[in-house]
Amino acid sequence: MRMRRCGRLAGAFLLASALAAPLAWANRADDTMVVAFQREVVNLDYLYTTSQEHVILSDLTDDRLFDVDPKTNDIRPMLATGYQYVDDLTLDVTLREGVHFHSGAAFTADDVVYTYQWVLNPDSNARASGTVTRWLRSVEKLGPYKVRFHLKSIYPLALRDMARRIPIRRNGAYQVDGKDDRGAQALHPDGLGPYRVAAFQPGQRAELVRFDGYYQDSPKGRPAIGRIVTRTIPDWGTQQAELMSGGVDWAYDMPLDVAQSMEATGRAVRLSGSSLRLSFVVLDAAGVSGNTALTDVKVRRALNYAVNRKAISEFLIGGAAQPIVAACHPLQFGCAQDVASYPYDPAKAKALLKEAGYDASKPLELWAYRDRAVAEAVAADWTAAGVNVKLRYGQLASLDQARAGGKIPAYIGSWANGGTADTAMIARVHFGDTDRNLSRNADVAKAVMDAERTNDPAQRAAHYRKALQTIADQAYWVPLFAYSVNYLTSPDLQFPVPADGLPRLFEASWKPAK
Amino acid sequence: MTNQDKTLAAGLAATAPPPAAEPDFDAQRRQAFWRRVRGHRGLQAGAAILLALLAVAVFAPWLAPHDPNAQSLAYRLLPPAWSEGGSWTYLLGTDQVGRDYLSRLIYGTRISLVVGFGAASIGCLIGVTLGVCAGYFGGRIDSLVSFLLTSQLALPGLLLAMALVFIIGPSLWVVIGIIGGLHWTYYLVVTRTSTMRLRQLDFVAAARAIGSSRRQILWHEILPNLLNQIIVVFTFEVGIAVLAEAALSFLGVGIQPPTPSWGLMIAEGKMAIFHRPWLVVLPGMALFLLVIGANLLGDGLRDVTSPEKRN
Amino acid sequence: MLRFALKRLGLAVLVALAVSFATFLLLNLATDPAQAIAGENAEPELVAQIRHEYGFDRPFMERYGSWLADAVRGDFGRSYYWHDSVSQLVLKHAPPTIRLALMALMVTVLVAIPLGVIAALRPNSAVDRLALGIAVSAQAIPNFWLGLMLVILFSVMLPIFPVSGDTSWLHYVLPALVLGTSSVPAVMRLTRAGLIEVMGSDYVRTARAKGYRGIELLARHALRNAILPIVSVLAVQLGQKFGGSVIVESIFAINGLGRLTLQSILGSDIPTVQMLIFIFAIVFILMNFLADVLNALLDPRIRMG
Repeated sequence: MRMRRCGRLAGAFLLASALAAPLAWANRADDTMVVAFQREVVNLDYLYTTSQEHVILSDLTDDRLFDVDPKTNDIRPMLATGYQYVDDLTLDVTLREGVHFHSGAAFTADDVVYTYQWVLNPDSNARASGTVTRWLRSVEKLGPYKVRFHLKSIYPLALRDMARRIPIRRNGAYQVDGKDDRGAQALHPDGLGPYRVAAFQPGQRAELVRFDGYYQDSPKGRPAIGRIVTRTIPDWGTQQAELMSGGVDWAYDMPLDVAQSMEATGRAVRLSGSSLRLSFVVLDAAGVSGNTALTDVKVRRALNYAVNRKAISEFLIGGAAQPIVAACHPLQFGCAQDVASYPYDPAKAKALLKEAGYDASKPLELWAYRDRAVAEAVAADWTAAGVNVKLRYGQLASLDQARAGGKIPAYIGSWANGGTADTAMIARVHFGDTDRNLSRNADVAKAVMDAERTNDPAQRAAHYRKALQTIADQAYWVPLFAYSVNYLTSPDLQFPVPADGLPRLFEASWKPAK
Repeated sequence: MTNQDKTLAAGLAATAPPPAAEPDFDAQRRQAFWRRVRGHRGLQAGAAILLALLAVAVFAPWLAPHDPNAQSLAYRLLPPAWSEGGSWTYLLGTDQVGRDYLSRLIYGTRISLVVGFGAASIGCLIGVTLGVCAGYFGGRIDSLVSFLLTSQLALPGLLLAMALVFIIGPSLWVVIGIIGGLHWTYYLVVTRTSTMRLRQLDFVAAARAIGSSRRQILWHEILPNLLNQIIVVFTFEVGIAVLAEAALSFLGVGIQPPTPSWGLMIAEGKMAIFHRPWLVVLPGMALFLLVIGANLLGDGLRDVTSPEKRN
Repeated sequence: MLRFALKRLGLAVLVALAVSFATFLLLNLATDPAQAIAGENAEPELVAQIRHEYGFDRPFMERYGSWLADAVRGDFGRSYYWHDSVSQLVLKHAPPTIRLALMALMVTVLVAIPLGVIAALRPNSAVDRLALGIAVSAQAIPNFWLGLMLVILFSVMLPIFPVSGDTSWLHYVLPALVLGTSSVPAVMRLTRAGLIEVMGSDYVRTARAKGYRGIELLARHALRNAILPIVSVLAVQLGQKFGGSVIVESIFAINGLGRLTLQSILGSDIPTVQMLIFIFAIVFILMNFLADVLNALLDPRIRMG
């Protein structure tokens, strides 16, 4: 009696699961692309967020004054149709007419002024403020479609910062019931982008629908896909399972092994593209941590020779990953490649260490917080050269705490360059006056700062070349590689791989049905 | 001979020793003890497993075919030799940086045994001390110990581990200390109850009557009678400590790479379980073997030393 | 009885205070929450801005004091990461954990008690040895490994259960199995021991003499007396389930309190961690209190001690 009942139950389970498994790739039929994110999206207002998932979403729901062409790295018009530098500290911008917000309100100069004044206002506590307050003094309206920006000093990246960081908000968007409310645009932003927010469950799911009132001359074009749903699935295993069963059409930035395994099942297409994100080891050349072993340039050069960058980028990251020689990404403006390089040579590394009289009995702490396999590979390479490496792999917040306290002799850092192809993005933070600068070289710092004080590209490039050559010569870093980003898509989806590693989901489309 | 035997021999009131008392070193009793050991399969199995693992740990450099830390990035993630794509140089396959899995499993035995015995010892020290004090002195000290016990149980081990690993540094000894410091409660409960019971027995009163100091009483009268139970708890705690270390390493706040901890190996293999399950299955089986050996031994010791309480 | 309860309550408050202080101290020593909030690629100005905005540059005791003052009034602040108040966040994440804990308890009861009963009825038989063998094995399996194995077997190889998530009751089966098996050995042994003792007691012998047999004897007389210590152990186990759910919820992507705890600790979301630790401590103490009360009912001597 009991056995028969068990048999029937088991049968019911199997039948239920067979029926429950959705028809693969039904999403094309209802023109909905389901996207998986690993990290939670809790706020849709990009003025108040920073991580890459928020950038992707903001690209869909918001527009900015300018846009950067990913292929040519040039500024191109978006909400602004033109600009003019009246003098080095005054920038006039002409705005596009005939543009509307998702709510229907017309876009005018008032919106631009309101947005930038909000960001400049210290009480707004916008995350984007820091980017803008550094160089912008004030903004004023010149006419219904004309705005003037007053800069504090000469700043060559003004347009880029505006293009990457400041989505335009409607005039009065943060005014609720007569009071300022910073969270007013968090759940249902009223934007100018090609998609509008239909539903949002913070941390779990967002549903975006194509905005039919989007202006025609946008550099983004008119999106092909009518609806995008983003789901947060933090576990790679679950993402894989969902891809296999058709619950998700697009996922990105998964480790190489996961991507290759999924590709092998035949149920997903693997794409890989380059990324502006870099990986590098920062060495405590100034002895900030009290460990004087790395103050000797021979030791630092030895550590450079000891690492097999080629193997690491080829086998651990794969795809479009490539080793780097300078402390910047080759695609960035000003990233001179004619700097001292240290090809993999363990024998030379050992010889240099001996010459420097390196004391191998003292442990060298190497901190890392991501890409454990890379950290282990670097540690193993250094160990093979005769260094007593102690790997400390933990959380980013702990690493930052320790670095601020001057406790770290060497760490593996990663920098995404904010999606901006200009050396300033990485040089300022790592060689200027910050706690990430473990080299404390005043000349390099001056060169890096000078490169941001002139608008002349030739002069800027010269400053950066000087800085980068010193950095490589003194081996302040062990530059490792530029990342490759892996994408997994449904076979029905056509997705152009971005050169700068920033997925532009509005460019996706369905392949024609067979 | 212990003081207990002396007082018995002197003809003072002999009360029945508590069931957990050490068997009298009378030849007959000893023979009975060993007979029970010989007949207890579980005890033998457990002891055999532990001895085998100990041998693996000690002879690791001779048993392991490769250096467990030697990476070869070009040969990463190879499956075991009998699967498609496997190679006989790497019998059980390789991990994500190309290290031989069999060698890492073998060397991992060392880590697990050191952590298991080390943490169990630290827990023993703390728990027995607190338990005996609480049980013997009672009153305020007992309340304080009770407070410590509840606080320790209520504080999440994960948080403590993460914070301490950050503040002090992630060395093997820090991990052992943390686990030992979180697993002394079992010792406390057992020794406290037994001490409370022992304290009231006549031989202790007799010892006090002849003028033994408190320290002498604790050391010579109480402790020897607790030894059995302590040993049993110790063997269980070895298993618990091994599992705790595996869990902490799994969550990323335990043993640091590249040390081959079985828990860390499971954590590193977790992402690939759909396509490369051996990365997770093998270390887990090793953990299971070690812990079951310890538990069988503990159960066996308990049965053999106090057959009335067989459970 | 009242004095007993009051003493326990006092202990609970003291423990909760000590634990919350220790947690606050550890979190602030070990991480930099400003950097965690700012994100990986935040520029130093942003980190400094956040540090000032959230008041991380205030002295430690002042920050703990203001947290405590608010907490006593029921205001646990806002999460640094989510934009809800912590209380709302906890309320949202509580149902999955409660469901999971109850289902795990059900698994324990359905597996351990029948096993213990069967083993007790035929001590030292093959069945008894099998039951003990199961108990010993269940104690030795690492729970996170068991979880991963079950996923491989029943979600990938045989797609019966979903891999992860918490949208349907099917999603809870595998996690409940994992969480429940960890309690099975203890409860089974206790059932077996307790039942053996009761079966040999005068009360049961009298019942047998009166003519009760089999199931009726078992249910009406034996179990009723053996049940109290079992229930008290189950209460303690239930209290531990909330803490033990951290790993299980992470593996199975269940949006419960355990997973929230892990995410909050790793992400330096201090207000959330503070409230969660507080709650876990209270639940744990409450369950222990319940167990103590049950034991006291059973044995009046303990009440006096």
